[in-house]
Amino acid sequence: MVATARAAGVAGPALAALTGGKALARTEETDLEILSAALLLEHHAIALYGHGLKLALFPPGLRAYATEFRGDHQGHRDTQIAIMEERGAAAPVARDDYDFAHAPAGDDFVRLALEIEVAAQRAYTGLISHIRTSDYLLSAAFILIDEVRHMTVWQRVLGLRIY
Amino acid sequence: MLRALAAAPVVVLAGQAHARDYSSAAEVLDEIDRLEADLDRRLARVAAAGAFAASVHADHERHRRERTVLRRRLGPPASPAPAAPAPLAPIDVESLRTVAQDLVHAHAEGLPALGDAAAVDTLARHMVVDARHLAIIQMWGEAEEQRG
Repeated sequence: MVATARAAGVAGPALAALTGGKALARTEETDLEILSAALLLEHHAIALYGHGLKLALFPPGLRAYATEFRGDHQGHRDTQIAIMEERGAAAPVARDDYDFAHAPAGDDFVRLALEIEVAAQRAYTGLISHIRTSDYLLSAAFILIDEVRHMTVWQRVLGLRIY
Repeated sequence: MLRALAAAPVVVLAGQAHARDYSSAAEVLDEIDRLEADLDRRLARVAAAGAFAASVHADHERHRRERTVLRRRLGPPASPAPAAPAPLAPIDVESLRTVAQDLVHAHAEGLPALGDAAAVDTLARHMVVDARHLAIIQMWGEAEEQRG
């Protein structure tokens, strides 16, 4: 999870909190750190799904799920950008150096999608109790519910244990 | 809630027009108790869901024990004994999905009312487990739809 978060560009206090290295105080600054980290993961997920859909790397029959999940991540991105802007902060933009050139097709691509979903789920779960404001706490909770659905669907597709 | 709804992004809460505004931790915990018991009771009646129902029930037992600890620490009074449950209508996947979704949403909507970081952490982790149950029930419904 930490490797995926790093690959997405997550750094600083949020990454330290995810690795158990630093306890975050519940402050406005922490909210913004969490928002930035979450946005980087959402950007990464959108790019990965976009690449997979564009090059038809998802197995046949799973495009509908991939399209739905990309849409969810786009919604999460827009939501969190709006929250940051409302607070007068600059939202991080997507990296321009995602390297999916050698991404495999089929189930192996689903595994990549699962990896980012697991990272997102664990990041939101690990950081949610540090959120200070009710509006962002509520939004993060509903985003987390989506991430769990994405993760569970891909786990089932791959024949992994889901209960 | 109105304040939260106004501030919360439309995209995320678009489906939550009836989102509930909890005023206390006790109210949140009571609602979770009620919905959890309801889902357990319904799942227990679905023979085809045997292993899944047992797994959900075991998760809920653990959640109940952890909520008991939370109640003691946060100080809300113990819930009154639940009223005798109403007779259940025939169980279908849609009714299971509705109750499972209500349970997950009760966790999400209840987090802001807790006012305690450790309690938020505990209920968020329970919510993740319950959201997984919900996703499984949703896939079950999707499979039934595909079968017509």
